[in-house]
Amino acid sequence: MGFFLETLFGGLMAGMLYSLVALGFVLIFKASGVFNFAQGAMVLFAALAMARFAEWVPGWLGLENKVLANVLAFMLAAVLMFMLAWLIERLVLRHLVNQEGVTLLMATLGITYFLDGLGQTIFGSDIYQIDIGMPKDPIFILDGMFEGGVLINQEDVIAAVVAACLVAALSLFFQKTSTGRALRAVADDHQAAQSIGIPLNRIWVIVWCVAGITALVAGMIWGSKLGVQFSLTTVALRALPVIILGGLTSVPGAIIGGLIIGVGEKLSEVYLGPMVGGGIEIWFAYMLALVFLLFRPQGLFGEKIIDRV
Amino acid sequence: MAQKKVGDVILDVQNISLRFGGVKALTDISFNVKEHEIRAIIGPNGAGKSSMLNCINGVYSPQEGSITFRGQTFKHMNSRQVAEMGIARTFQNLALFKGMSVIDNIMTGRNLRIKSNILLQALRLGPAEREETAHREKVEHIIDFLEIQAYRKTPVGQLPYGLQKRVDLGRALAMEPQVLLLDEPMAGMNVEEKQDMCRFILDVNDEFGTTIVLIEHDMGVVMDISDRVVVLDYGKKIGDGPPDEVRNNEEVIRAYLGTSH
Repeated sequence: MGFFLETLFGGLMAGMLYSLVALGFVLIFKASGVFNFAQGAMVLFAALAMARFAEWVPGWLGLENKVLANVLAFMLAAVLMFMLAWLIERLVLRHLVNQEGVTLLMATLGITYFLDGLGQTIFGSDIYQIDIGMPKDPIFILDGMFEGGVLINQEDVIAAVVAACLVAALSLFFQKTSTGRALRAVADDHQAAQSIGIPLNRIWVIVWCVAGITALVAGMIWGSKLGVQFSLTTVALRALPVIILGGLTSVPGAIIGGLIIGVGEKLSEVYLGPMVGGGIEIWFAYMLALVFLLFRPQGLFGEKIIDRV
Repeated sequence: MAQKKVGDVILDVQNISLRFGGVKALTDISFNVKEHEIRAIIGPNGAGKSSMLNCINGVYSPQEGSITFRGQTFKHMNSRQVAEMGIARTFQNLALFKGMSVIDNIMTGRNLRIKSNILLQALRLGPAEREETAHREKVEHIIDFLEIQAYRKTPVGQLPYGLQKRVDLGRALAMEPQVLLLDEPMAGMNVEEKQDMCRFILDVNDEFGTTIVLIEHDMGVVMDISDRVVVLDYGKKIGDGPPDEVRNNEEVIRAYLGTSH
C-alpha cells in the first residue's frame, strides 16, 4: 500500500508539471482560437533566459545574494516574455486577423523554429542549471500508517503548490473579470468582438503575456528538475495528450488531464509494465488520448461542439 | 403609433464608392439618417446593402466618399473605434460567442463601459463589485425586454435561430448605442418570429430612442416599420424616401420585379 501511494504521489507531481505546460496551450487557444505550437519553444526560451540571467545578474550588479539574483532573473525573463508577446502580436498575429485557424497554426509553427534558434543564439546551447534553492531532499510522510512511510519529493510538493496558485489566479481572471470575458469573446468570433468594441490587438498581447508567464513558471520548475536543455521543447509534446484529455478550452481540464496522465503513466508502468515488458510510460499518454478522441473528442471538460446543419 | 420626434441628421453618408478589385460594390452612394428614425436600406440580392453597412461599421474602408457621425467625419476606422463612437451592429449570419451563456454574451456588450481595475474585478472587491452589479442590472433589463429570461444561462449555441437573433440584438443594445445597425434582422425567420422581431425593433426605437439603420430583403416588413427607405440596386442608389413614395417608384418596381422587354 505504501508503495502504491508513493507511485500515486509521484504520478500526481509529474502530472502537475504536464498541466502547467498544457495550461499555456489552453490559455492561448481559449483566447484566440489559435493552437499555439510554439508553447514548447516558449518554455525553453523562458527557461534559458531565466537560467542565464541568474548567472549574469550577479556579475552585472556585483550581487552576492542568490535569492535576490534569482528574483531579478525571473523578473528580467518575465519582461523578455512580455516583449516577445508584444512582438508576436505586432509582427505576426496583427496581419492574420480573421484568417483560418490553420493559417494561424502554421504561423505559430514558424514562431517555434524562430524561437528555438533565437534562444540558443542569445543564451547559448549548453545545458544550464536553474538553482532556485528548492529543497531536493525527499521526506517521509504517513510514517505511522505504513511501514517505512511514503517517500515524497519536497521539490515536487513546492512545484505543485506553485502550479495550484497559478491555476487559481487564472481561473479567477477568466471567469470573473471583464477582460477574461473579452478574451473568451475574441476566441469565439473576431469580427463580432471588434464590433462591440473589444480591442483585439490588446487582448492578444495580454493573452500571450499570460501564456509567456505560464511558460516561464513551467520552464523554471522543469529546468530546476532536469536542467535547461533543448529537450525541454519536447515537454510540450507530452502536454498534447493532456489537452486532448482535458479539453482544449478548459483550464480545470488542463489540470485534471495532467494529473490523470501523470498518475496513469506511473501506475501503468509499475503495475502493467512487467506484464508487457515495460516501456509503457512512453506511449501510455498518447494511447489514452487516442481512446478519448474516439469517444469524447471534446475532452472531459471541453465545450461541446454544437453545429447546426 | 404616436407622432415620433425625428431629430437632426446624426449620420451622413456622402458619395461612397467601394471597389473590390474590378468589382464595383458601391457607386457614389449618399444618404443621411436622422436621429430617432428607423431608416431601411433595401435592394435585391447583391445590391450592396451589406457592403454599405460594413462601410458605416468600419469593416470596409470605401475608396471614395466620407461618413459623418455626429459632426465627426471618418474615412478609415476599424470596427472597434466605430463601436467606441456609439455605433453598434448585429450580424446577418449570426456572430455570437457560441460557447458562452446568453448573459455572458450580452455582458460582453458592456465591455467598453467597464472601468474598474482588473485585480479588483478578479477578487470582486468594493467598487468592482458595485460596477459589475450595475452592469448586470442593465443586462437583466435587456433580457427582460427581449423576453429571453428563461434562457439566461443557456449556451447560445444551443438556442433556436430566432432566439439567437434576439441575443445578437441584446448584445448590441447592451452597448447603449446611439445608432444601431441591423443586418437582415428578419432573415430566415418564420412569420411569428418576424413579427416578434418587428415589435422589438419598434420598441427599441421607442423606448431607448435609438436610431436604427436596417437592411432587409423582405419589402413588406420594411415598409411597415421604417420611416424612410433607401433602395440600392447593383451598387447604385435608385430610390430614397418614405415607404409609400418608394413603393411607387418606377425604378424600384423594375429592380424588384423585373420588366418585360
